Order: sequence, then structure tokens, then C-alpha cells
Amino acid sequence: MNLQLPKEALLVATKNRTPDTRSFTLRLRDGQERLDFRPGQFNMLGLPGFGEAPITFSAPPQQDGTFEHTVRAVGRLTKGLMKLKPGDTIHVRGPFGTAWPLDQVKGKDILVVAGGVGMVPLRPFILEAFRRRSDYGKIVILFGARTPGELVFREEFDSWRSQAQTTLLLTVDEVPPGEEWKGHTGVVTGLFAETDIDPGTAAVLTCGPEIMMRFVARGLILRRFSPARIHVSLERRMRCGTGHCGHCQLGPKFICKDGPVFRYEELSGLPDTLL
Amino acid sequence: MNGQVSARIVKKESIETWINDLRRDYEAYAPVAAGKVASFRRIERAAEIDWNYSSTTIPPSKIIYAPQQSLVRFVKSDKGYQVEEDAAVIADRALLAVHPCDLHGLLVLERTFLGQMKDAAYERVRSRVTVVGLNCQTVGEKCFCASFGTGPFFGFWMRQGPPFGCDAILTDLGERFLVETFGEKGEMLFVKVKSSPPSLDDIGEKFKREAAAKERFRKTLNTRDLPALMRRNLYHPTWRITGEGKCLSCTNCTMVCPTCFCYDTWDKALLDLSVIERARRWDSCQDERFAEVHGGNFRSTHEARLRQFVCHKLSYWVEQYGCFGCVGCGRCMTWCPTGIDLAEIAAEIRADEERK
Repeated sequence: MNLQLPKEALLVATKNRTPDTRSFTLRLRDGQERLDFRPGQFNMLGLPGFGEAPITFSAPPQQDGTFEHTVRAVGRLTKGLMKLKPGDTIHVRGPFGTAWPLDQVKGKDILVVAGGVGMVPLRPFILEAFRRRSDYGKIVILFGARTPGELVFREEFDSWRSQAQTTLLLTVDEVPPGEEWKGHTGVVTGLFAETDIDPGTAAVLTCGPEIMMRFVARGLILRRFSPARIHVSLERRMRCGTGHCGHCQLGPKFICKDGPVFRYEELSGLPDTLL
Repeated sequence: MNGQVSARIVKKESIETWINDLRRDYEAYAPVAAGKVASFRRIERAAEIDWNYSSTTIPPSKIIYAPQQSLVRFVKSDKGYQVEEDAAVIADRALLAVHPCDLHGLLVLERTFLGQMKDAAYERVRSRVTVVGLNCQTVGEKCFCASFGTGPFFGFWMRQGPPFGCDAILTDLGERFLVETFGEKGEMLFVKVKSSPPSLDDIGEKFKREAAAKERFRKTLNTRDLPALMRRNLYHPTWRITGEGKCLSCTNCTMVCPTCFCYDTWDKALLDLSVIERARRWDSCQDERFAEVHGGNFRSTHEARLRQFVCHKLSYWVEQYGCFGCVGCGRCMTWCPTGIDLAEIAAEIRADEERK
């Protein structure tokens, strides 16, 4: 099997999430084939002439065989994706990488800490955990973004809050003129004080800028959370997704195949990271 | 490959005849004298081969893992771009007179490309390549393969027997060669060559020459506890002093390394956009942009990049692949314009720790 050979996926629908972030619902064109993936993994999305980039799944696998990616337009490929319309083709390779520990954290309280589009890889975990809600204890979600307008998936927050034993706390760095915000302002770690969860048993899942994950992980360890139960999702540029191009190496780890989801303790002491 | 090993004695002139005949079925690549340093080139006649070469600038593993390679093509049709696997015809190739350090370089490189996840583009080329080694009796001043057990003669490495990494290996015994073949493919290569069975004296002569070659090493790298030593010293001052003081980030070290595998990809299009080809080319962790991401660069300093190269080869690699990423060929230090020497860095770090 040639892992560098992309499959064609039909763009079924798009949905704007924030001014520069859009969700793409896709289905493989090849007959009945379904993409078998787990929350936390990623695909290499590509367009001929634009190259490829690693993009995480933003929803769990769907009954109808579709899968969803949510992309922020920041580079050549991601800006190219924004020009596509339903009916167009996106090339996909994958799924690649490790997944969130959905099964290992069964029965535990879950603390999810997201920053900006770092919410995107966490959302499939959150939605899957809601689907099997009784498998987990409390779920506390802390979500920070630069501005209220960048709180991705905010149209779903009411439904998230309506789940049993679930708390969603939001914070923003700043409120631009014209935007309305009654909630918290400040960094996401500022929400720890309002978080009622037992550090002795809880599992933590976090994704966001590395500098944010640094303060999240270290702040939680100071609050007696175990580094073995803090799970982080990292990002680097990648050309292959298969551990060959070398770009995503962090010390001895290949983020594409050993990650992107790691236990925080696996990465301790490594250079060239902000963690 | 099976473990069948056989040995025979072949006169030098018969080896040359064999190579000239081989040319009918294979593109043959061998070390050719070119200025001060030999280089692996496509040869037409056995007489072109420099049997006494010491090292080459570009390692033979990078004849298989070429500087650029096509990965996939997108061909425009009325239904959009159709994906096509690269189907260019690949000729059978023979890599001849490859020294053991470079045979091991190939073995190490293949732990990346032919490991759990296979690189199809590499595999496609590799499957057409026959490798014939040459035990090395020309130890150079920067050579330290003996420190890694990857030379000067090809033997057991990482508990793998010799039948891995090459199909046959030659030992120059003067006017005749000892030819050891591995597996059926190696045996078939020499089945028509005029040869005689080796005598005990011939085998003795091989060991004598191996012992003599080992005597010639002036350079060593102490590998005892080396991966852990490097990991304990990720913040040693030498990274800053050597990195910022000497490293130019020219990427020479990675270009000439037999085990470096990193690549970048790019899409190149015909002007009418009817065909777009996605290709790869060697990339380097020493390039300033290598670890760039949106909004930053995880290795923006010479210090961080030098540490990445040296610690990858001497430490991280062991965790990734169960072997060192260095085979002691000496190329990185030979071709470093400011003489940065990874063995000296490791020795400096070890000496500092022992002083404490």
C-alpha cells in the first residue's frame, strides 16, 4: 500500500464557524469505503498545486460515513480550502497518529482545557464522551480564545451545558469594540480557581498554543494533578504523516506517529518545545 | 533473505570481467576517482572503479534515496484531478564496492523507510537494487566506524547476521578477491564467475587484513552509555558555544550523511495545469525554516539545530529505531566548513561529566 497516495473525498457541506474558520463535511468518493478513525487523530488534507497539511478531525465518525475537518485559514493550503464549494474534491491521506484515551479515562472525571482552535481536536472527544455520557464522571470544559468571536463551536455551547454533570467555562483575552461579552476575561488558567474537580483521579485533555499547554500542565501539576493523566495534543508542520519526512520530530518523538496525543510525562525534559 | 552464506576466491581480472558483463543487466554505480575524493558514479567499465577509495562525498545510500523523487501525480480530467501513482520505469541497479560503514548506513536508513510504515517510493527503487560491498582497508583520518561496530569489515551488527543490507561482499586479498555471497540473490550473481574455493590461508588472510585495518584508526567515539549521556546534557554549554560560534547552518552535514532521511515536498505544475506532480527533495534540520510553524519556529537558533543533529544521531535514534543514527563514516565533520566534529562534541560532554 502506498501511504503517500491520497484518496479523493467529496466535499458534502461547509459551515462557517468564525470569520476565518470553517468546517468541511467530507465523504470518500470510492464506493462504500469508510474512513475508520478515532477522536484525536488527523488526516493529511491536500489540494493539487497547494500541497498538504495535517488537519485534525473535528467530529467523531458519523453513521452516514461522513467525517468532518475544521480549518482556520492561515497558510497556502488552508486558504485554498476556503475557496472550495460542496461538490468539490479534497484529497485525503490518513487517518494518522494517536487518539485521545477515550477508553482509558472511562469512569474518571474529565477536565478539558482548550485554547482557540485547540478546541477543534478536542471536540470529537467531547461529542463522543457525550454520546456515552454514563461512561464518564464529571466533565469540565475550560475554553479560552482571543476574542468572543473566536470561540469556535459556540452555537453548540447550550447543548454541551445541558449534558448531565457537565460544566463549560469560557474566557477571552480581550473584547474588541462592538462585541458583547459578559463572561470572564484573562488566560484560561485563570478558570482553574472555579473548577471543582478531584485532581487525585481526574484525567486532563488539553490542546492549544504550546505556551498555553505549558501553563495548563504545570499549573495543574501544582494543583496535584498527575502528569501521567495529563494528555496534550501537539502540532508541527508535517509532509508525510508516516514518520518519514522528519519535520515533526520532538526529541525522539515523531509527532505524526507517536503523537499528536501524548501523556505530558512522555515529553518531560525535551528541548525545542514550550511545554 | 535467507541466511545462506557462501565464499569463493575470484581473481581480480575475473571480477572486472564480471562487472563488465553485469553492465548488460544493470546500471552499475561504483566509486570513481575524481579529484581528491572519489564519488559514486554510473560506470561503463570496471576499469573506472577506484578500488582503493577511502570515502565519497555523497554516500551510496543516497543513490537509492535520491535528492529529488516524484511521489504522486494529479492529472486533470473533466472530473477534476485524478490521482496517479508514479509509474516511471526504474532500471535494475547495482551498487558496487560499497564500504561497510555505508552498507550500515543503508541498513539504518531502511529502519526509517522500510520500518513499520513503509515508504512506497523508496521501496520501489530499493527493490531493483543489488548491493555488493567491499571490506574497507583504507581507513581515513576522520573514520571511526570501528567505534560503532559498523566497519571496517562487514560483520555482525545489532545481532543481525551479514546477510542483511547487501547481497555480496568482496575482500581485496591482493591480486584476488574473497567473495562472500548472502542468500540466493548473492549466489546467483556469481554463479557463472570463474572461481575456486577459499583455502584456510585465504580466510586467515582476510582476518589479518581486518586486524591491520583496525590498527589504522586514529579517531574514536566512546559509545558507552552514549544515548543517556547526550540526553543528560541537552543544555550543555557546547551547544551554544559550538552552535552559535561555529555552525553556519549550511546543511552540509545532513546532505552527506548516509542515514539522514528528512524531506520536504512541493507541488510542481505544468503551465497549463494539466498535470501537477507532488515531489520530495532532501530537507535538513539545519535549515532555519525546518521547524517553523504558524506563528513561530521551534529551532530558530544554531544552538538548537546543532543539538538536534548531534543528539538525533547519538541518542534519539536509539529510542526511535534501536540503533545509532551514526555509522562513523566521518562525512559530516569532513564536509563541515568550520570543522564541527560530532565525535569531539560527544567527547567534550563526556569529559565534562567525568570531571564533575
